[in-house]
Amino acid sequence: MSAGLVAVLFVAVALVAVGAFVATWKRDLSSALAGLPLMFGGAGVAFAGAARFSAAGDPKIFGQEVAALLAVATLALVALGVGIAGRGTSR
Amino acid sequence: MDSLHAIGFYVSAAISVGGGLLVAFLPGRGARGLAVALSGLGIAGLYASLSADFAGLVALVCYAGCALLIAAPRYRSVDSPVGFAWRQAGAVGAAGLFAVLAYAAFRGDFVEATYRGGEIGTAAIGRVLFAHDALTAAALGALVFVALIGATAAWRVRERGR
Repeated sequence: MSAGLVAVLFVAVALVAVGAFVATWKRDLSSALAGLPLMFGGAGVAFAGAARFSAAGDPKIFGQEVAALLAVATLALVALGVGIAGRGTSR
Repeated sequence: MDSLHAIGFYVSAAISVGGGLLVAFLPGRGARGLAVALSGLGIAGLYASLSADFAGLVALVCYAGCALLIAAPRYRSVDSPVGFAWRQAGAVGAAGLFAVLAYAAFRGDFVEATYRGGEIGTAAIGRVLFAHDALTAAALGALVFVALIGATAAWRVRERGR
């Protein structure tokens, strides 16, 4: 059993599409924020996969760096979204 | 990629995509937060199986934070004025996006190479972040700063308005 770049990109695409689906499907905009980590995660997986399987180009660690940056950006944007939504009643 | 890494990759892929679908269909904030955490666990596993261990650790922490924020019991619900038909169109658009990108990935012509990495490599990532891509790291730091200040300010303004 093995996994190549095409399999990695398929998973990345699936994550981006599921994130877009969550963002459009949820009627509550605060809940739709949950799609953001999935889309950013998909992008990060694509970067990490491209760096892992790339034939040339330095540094090889570039994909891992972008994936880590995207994870931090996700947390910041979700915090901003929840903060903008403000405090309310539980639902 | 050897068999062990490949199995880890496919299991993590199933967990992350399955967790994402649970986020879409589960009712309630707590359940959605748990689903985001599950999806984050899968994404961290994907990074680890792709020899990006440091990114996996960062993702694990950040997605746990996202899950806590999304599961928080007292943030305000903001209902969208968009109708059901438009939401359906958006869902179909997401499926179309998947089809187009999957076709591009499937038809792409990629050159495979041997990877000699595998270690966590925090020192190398630190060098890349703070020497090679210092502007990117600074921009992300500014984004985090603005996000936290903005979230706090928005929260306080709403509280004061009550």
